[in-house]
Amino acid sequence: MPAIELFEVTRRYDGGGETVVALDSVSIAVERGSFVAVMGPSGSGKSTLLNVVGLLDSPDEGRVHVDGEDVTDVAVDERTRLRKGTIGFVFQDFHLIPTLSALENVVVPTIFDPKPRRDRAADLLERVGLGDRLDHLPDELSGGQKQRVAIARSLINDPSIVLADEPTGNLDRDTGERILSELTAVTDAGVSVVAVTHDPAVAEYADRTIELRDGVVAE
Amino acid sequence: MSRLPALFVARRNLSRNRLQSALAALGILVGVVAIASLGIFGNVLAVGADDALGDIGTQVIVTPNADAGVQSIDDRTVAEIQRVTTGGDAVPLKTDGGLVTRGGESAAATIYGIREPGSLYTAAEGELPRPHRQGAILGADLADALDAQAGDNVDVTGDTYRVIAVLEPVESFTPISPNDAVMLPESAVGGDGYQQVVIRTDTGAAATASADAVEATVNAREDVVEVFELSSILDEINEFFSLLSVFLLGLGGISLFVAGVSILNVMLMSTVERRQEIGVLRAVGVSRWAVLRTILFEATLLGVVGAAGGVLVTVALVAGLYLATPVELWIVLDPTNGLYLLGAFAFGVLISVLGGLYPAWTAANERPVDALRG
Repeated sequence: MPAIELFEVTRRYDGGGETVVALDSVSIAVERGSFVAVMGPSGSGKSTLLNVVGLLDSPDEGRVHVDGEDVTDVAVDERTRLRKGTIGFVFQDFHLIPTLSALENVVVPTIFDPKPRRDRAADLLERVGLGDRLDHLPDELSGGQKQRVAIARSLINDPSIVLADEPTGNLDRDTGERILSELTAVTDAGVSVVAVTHDPAVAEYADRTIELRDGVVAE
Repeated sequence: MSRLPALFVARRNLSRNRLQSALAALGILVGVVAIASLGIFGNVLAVGADDALGDIGTQVIVTPNADAGVQSIDDRTVAEIQRVTTGGDAVPLKTDGGLVTRGGESAAATIYGIREPGSLYTAAEGELPRPHRQGAILGADLADALDAQAGDNVDVTGDTYRVIAVLEPVESFTPISPNDAVMLPESAVGGDGYQQVVIRTDTGAAATASADAVEATVNAREDVVEVFELSSILDEINEFFSLLSVFLLGLGGISLFVAGVSILNVMLMSTVERRQEIGVLRAVGVSRWAVLRTILFEATLLGVVGAAGGVLVTVALVAGLYLATPVELWIVLDPTNGLYLLGAFAFGVLISVLGGLYPAWTAANERPVDALRG
């Protein structure tokens, strides 16, 4: 069973009096443990696809399945709970919380739980090579280190899928490759990775590349 | 990380922009000081006035009605007044004025001819005789001016009397202040009848009832006496002070309201600044309720810090009031003042929570997709 499946998903936006079709009947399936790169020019619908897959946005038409379950119409709070349990996010701008240490940033998704997962957070930071940076604030870390913290954060709840939005966009080539190999390592544990990118280097690491053009899959 | 993650995150967020947080808390502080100190000052005035005026509410002064040609109150009328007085004593007084001397000292004094001084006054030294047959009783200020004590001899308008007692100073307002007076036996003060009858009761209600009874009996056919009853004045004074209190609290309330608006402003600015961050929290699975709670915690924290500071400043102000003015300690320590402090604190925190509610609500309910876009 695929980790995530989109069936004929269409998403439209009303912008400036005309309707923009960001996704036009897109159907994709992401298998467990696979690394999928989604490529395409700006405005091709990459970000919208990631938002729909990440349960941040709902399609106007079509269905979305997570772990075989139809989650197209679930309510806001249930959607939040599903995101927390099954999806990890890695953003282009890292989006770490500047007042929290590296360790606390990794704990963040569970910080309001009865038992925040501090031990697992420390393990994950160790795994991405930041075992000696637990108490550093984001300002004290390099771009690559911040992105590794973000990867550790995306894994805190054992997700079935990690969504990465331009994960190498703000990094130099060497650092970017380090990040990509971290993401590849993630797939070895059975977690699917979907990365949206302009960067051809990402495609080299991916098991499969999906080309989006004007909201249509051109694989 | 503490057991209260919302509190932990809230504190971290507030420390991010210390000046802004401090100014918002300062607003609450000023508001709480305004409401608590104005409330307490008003209360101190009211309690102090109540203390000073307390006696007059239980007094009724009966005087001859000069308009009807009555110059004095005769024994029969006095007996009638005493008969209808309830819950207290009616004491007839003869009044005169003159010079009191002792050795080289002399002072002008009111001279009262009184049979039962013990019903109206208490002695600081010596004893008040019942009835008063001989000797002079000096008011506190008069005794001071003459440097006289019980046992001394004083000269009152030419006759010499032995001082048998000195009265305690009377601080509260009364139409028959004894402080500058000398009290002689009735027989020593000339003239027929009495110039006034003082009714002293235990309660304001008894005073009113006695006054009404005198009007109904003594003045039944014609107005022989004028009845001056003060408890109704006291009611009006009390009404004035409660109005003053409401007015002062209103002023304090306005400043606290302004402080609430500044909390609202600060929290709005801070949630707008942190829009993306809140978007990330929501995206990675933090619930709307947790976001709402955190921002409310921030507002509450500002409110608690500001309100606690306000309480401390108010306590200092009230201590200053006590040191700088002749207000008595027990009035300052009156439990109702504590209620004002507590109330102002609670109100300050409540205003802060209300100020945080709207920003918290909007931040928690924004779609993470929109928030992340920045």
